[in-house]
Amino acid sequence: MGVGLLSLALGCRSDQVSHYRVPKEVAATHPDHPGHASEGMPSQGMPSGPDAAANVPPPPTPKGSLKWSLPKGWSELPGGGMRFATFKTPVSGKVEATVVVLPGAAGGELPNVNRWRGQIGLPPLDEAGLAKARTVLKTKAGALNVYDFTSDGQVKSRMVVGYVTTPDGNTWFLKLTGDAEPVAKAKSDFMTILGSIRLD
Amino acid sequence: MIKTIASRIWAFFKSFQLTIVLLALLMCLVVLCTLAQVEMGTAGAVNAYMRSFFVWRHVAALPFPLPIFPGGALVGLLLTINLIAKTLDIKLIWPRAGMWLIHAGLVILFAGEFVAGMMQVDTNMSIEVGQTVNYVQSYKDMELAVIDVTDPAWDEVYSVPDTLLAKGGSIAIPGTPITLNVKRYFPNAELATLIPGSAPSLATAGVGVNASVVEIPVVSADNEMNQTSAFVEPVAGGRSYGVWLTSVALGAPQSFTHEGRTYALSMRLRRQYLPYAFTLKQFRHDVYPGTDIPKNFSSLVQVVNPSQKESREVLIYMNQPLRYEGKTFYQASFGKNDTLSILSVVENPGWLLPYVSCVLVSLGLLVHFAIVLRRSLKRRQDQKES
Repeated sequence: MGVGLLSLALGCRSDQVSHYRVPKEVAATHPDHPGHASEGMPSQGMPSGPDAAANVPPPPTPKGSLKWSLPKGWSELPGGGMRFATFKTPVSGKVEATVVVLPGAAGGELPNVNRWRGQIGLPPLDEAGLAKARTVLKTKAGALNVYDFTSDGQVKSRMVVGYVTTPDGNTWFLKLTGDAEPVAKAKSDFMTILGSIRLD
Repeated sequence: MIKTIASRIWAFFKSFQLTIVLLALLMCLVVLCTLAQVEMGTAGAVNAYMRSFFVWRHVAALPFPLPIFPGGALVGLLLTINLIAKTLDIKLIWPRAGMWLIHAGLVILFAGEFVAGMMQVDTNMSIEVGQTVNYVQSYKDMELAVIDVTDPAWDEVYSVPDTLLAKGGSIAIPGTPITLNVKRYFPNAELATLIPGSAPSLATAGVGVNASVVEIPVVSADNEMNQTSAFVEPVAGGRSYGVWLTSVALGAPQSFTHEGRTYALSMRLRRQYLPYAFTLKQFRHDVYPGTDIPKNFSSLVQVVNPSQKESREVLIYMNQPLRYEGKTFYQASFGKNDTLSILSVVENPGWLLPYVSCVLVSLGLLVHFAIVLRRSLKRRQDQKES
């Protein structure tokens, strides 16, 4: 019986070119997901869709890479996936600091900011709101836009993000995320890191 | 003489010692398979240890693998024969009806596992809120899709399976004037931007011109995916359209135009198109208040099947799958900030067999209990009377 079923199963496995006529695919539209950059989110071992990777394979280290100095107690771990680096903070609790670099404008500043706000359950901003929320930090790598958002609710989430475009056109996100309390403790050190960034 | 040998074989297959040895082997297989999952992933380990007749190993000195242990399929097959032999040994009389039912139920349970092992197809459907999807895709198997995108309403998809690409050579695409020459095939590869001064890429067209491709070992763990890549040269009407790099690592498909028809090349997970489509209307990921602990995941999908003139909403949530047209859709995972739902799709022609088995075994136990109870009551009655 087993052998019979085995041959049947093997027979089913096609090794031929097959043809289908299918209606054109319509991609879902998400205003809060510019370019659908998943930005180090858990991919669940799932395939990269047509939008998950850029057209050109990402270089191992981007040209015009950023450098930074770490305060005492902080350490740097190598990145994985779309993350360029992860920072280990001395603060206990739910807090994480990451660096993500994306090619080109990465969908634009407003859609990215609104996507981050969406991640902690805040409503999107318009251009005027964006300008209001922005703090500009002068660094050796140019002007760095800093955003600091805290969510509503019983357990407050907070997100501090530095956003900078390097001369080669890549966009960098330096993010400090987690529960509001540990984020508040780590913020001053994180701001020191943001202030220290420079071009390699 | 022949009769003696036959009766010995019969005695061997119905022996209780064989049952014990086989059960011990099965226990060893469970331990080995569990340990192997670390390296091979769940599906890889189950295929290597449970769903094969032998466990094969490569020995350094030999060019071919050697069977080192009986696989789950062989042990299962022998256990089934053992069980059938034991069942046939039970006398065909009414007081044994319960035993017959129980044994028949167990044989069906074993048969169900064989059907699942040999014929079950596991795929998944990943679908974003607002998106309509009419295909399921493999977890590991790849295809190079050559898609004629000329028609504004339809795509003509020609799927070249990875197994065919691995053989190399020329692959004619039936129904089109195109022949694909497979220049190189990588089951798994690492792509990077070509560093100036290094050897040029094999590709002469598309984004692959600026990419370097390095072959890396194939991965099989559950959370890893092979970056299957290939250099292919489409030739049509005696004209070469250059050598293209196609890879799962490359996002948007690349295309070329031959005699007014545009063909896109896309390496992707192998798809199976369905005669119906699902639209994800809503995905819910509820947590217990004040915590991150998940309480419920659910996908509200619109099932549209034109051939059945059917269009209805279905809520798929944990432990409440949708069984539709021979496939079962389970809520499996999610992503993209809760806007992507992943349904695991199982097609098992023998899915009913374990249920039939359970009913038979339960019925058999009840019948057997009733028979024994009746016999015991009768005995007590007889004792009283005497």
